[in-house]
Amino acid sequence: MKKYILGMTLCVISINAGGFNPPMQAYINTLKTQAKQADTGFSDFDAKRGEKIFLSKHIGKRGTEVSCASCHSQNLTSAGKNPVTNKSIKPLAPSANPSRLTEVAEVQKWLKRNFNDVYKREGTAQEKGDVLYYIKSK
Amino acid sequence: MHKKIIISAILLSGIVFADEGGRDVAPAKNTMYLKECASCHFGYQPGLLPKRSWTKMMNNLDNHFGTDASLDPKTKAYITRYLTLNSADSVNAGGYKRSYKINNSISTNQAPLRISQTPYFLREHREVPKQAITQKAVGSLANCTACHTTAFEGSYSERAIKIPNFRNWEEEGDDD
Ligand code: HEC
Repeated sequence: MKKYILGMTLCVISINAGGFNPPMQAYINTLKTQAKQADTGFSDFDAKRGEKIFLSKHIGKRGTEVSCASCHSQNLTSAGKNPVTNKSIKPLAPSANPSRLTEVAEVQKWLKRNFNDVYKREGTAQEKGDVLYYIKSK
Repeated sequence: MHKKIIISAILLSGIVFADEGGRDVAPAKNTMYLKECASCHFGYQPGLLPKRSWTKMMNNLDNHFGTDASLDPKTKAYITRYLTLNSADSVNAGGYKRSYKINNSISTNQAPLRISQTPYFLREHREVPKQAITQKAVGSLANCTACHTTAFEGSYSERAIKIPNFRNWEEEGDDD
């Protein structure tokens, strides 16, 4: 029994300490395959490129300047706020909010919406992977 | 005999709707609705708009007031059903005075998408100073909870209004 609990604890710690959970890793792998198809030179996602995707400003869907940080703040471990509705948003960084990047359907839904809002188009597989690596590193 | 019943029924319903102490709007407590809609803004109660408005809104989620709020078809159908079954003109809104008044203020050939542009809403907020709305702590009239401290419970009574940085608002307005 004790061993079982210890094993469980270790398991939870190892999930928190770096990698994605299995369904999310499967999603990342799918994105990798797609990124490779689009660009044969592609090797892996890159948090540094993701940071640029996240922080750079664009004329968004509303016709005003916006970035991912407009809602999520530049400091991903702190709470964000939707500038239009004033609604607060819990931190995006998994280190501050362990439920982040754990549910594939949630992640897909928000990436679709949020890329459309900021970039007026959906993200490419590579952009999505890069930005997920960036968020994950926070 | 019949006439009497009908007359008292009419009187009764009048009393219910005119009752100042009556309930305002049925609270929105549906988990799916709150999860999907209230992550971006206050979870507006379904009883704040008529069915035709909700239907129109839910059919255009890709461009929801300038943002992409798209949902998968199953979730969209579920939430549309929740909103329309509890809309301001539904039986479930019966007895809720704000639902009645909002619905009554909208002409039947209109399907407004903004609660804040319905005639009843505009009437109720016409005396609010502009700076009270545009200030940072509020932002816009769509931010119900900034001033209505009990909005989540579906209660918009005058007593529970606290405009940030504006004192004694309660004493100025009239609660109808
Ligand atoms: C208009 C405001 C807004 C903008 C702009 C925005 N987001 Fe979001 N995002 C949200 C909200 C709201 C949520 C859901 C928050 C919640 O669940 O508490 C969210 C959720 C997410 C999630 C899901 C996290 C999870 O697992 O729960 C990801 C990933 C994300 N956003 C990435 C981005 C990226 C990348 C951009 C820029 C392309 C961006 N966001 C721009 C508002 C925004």
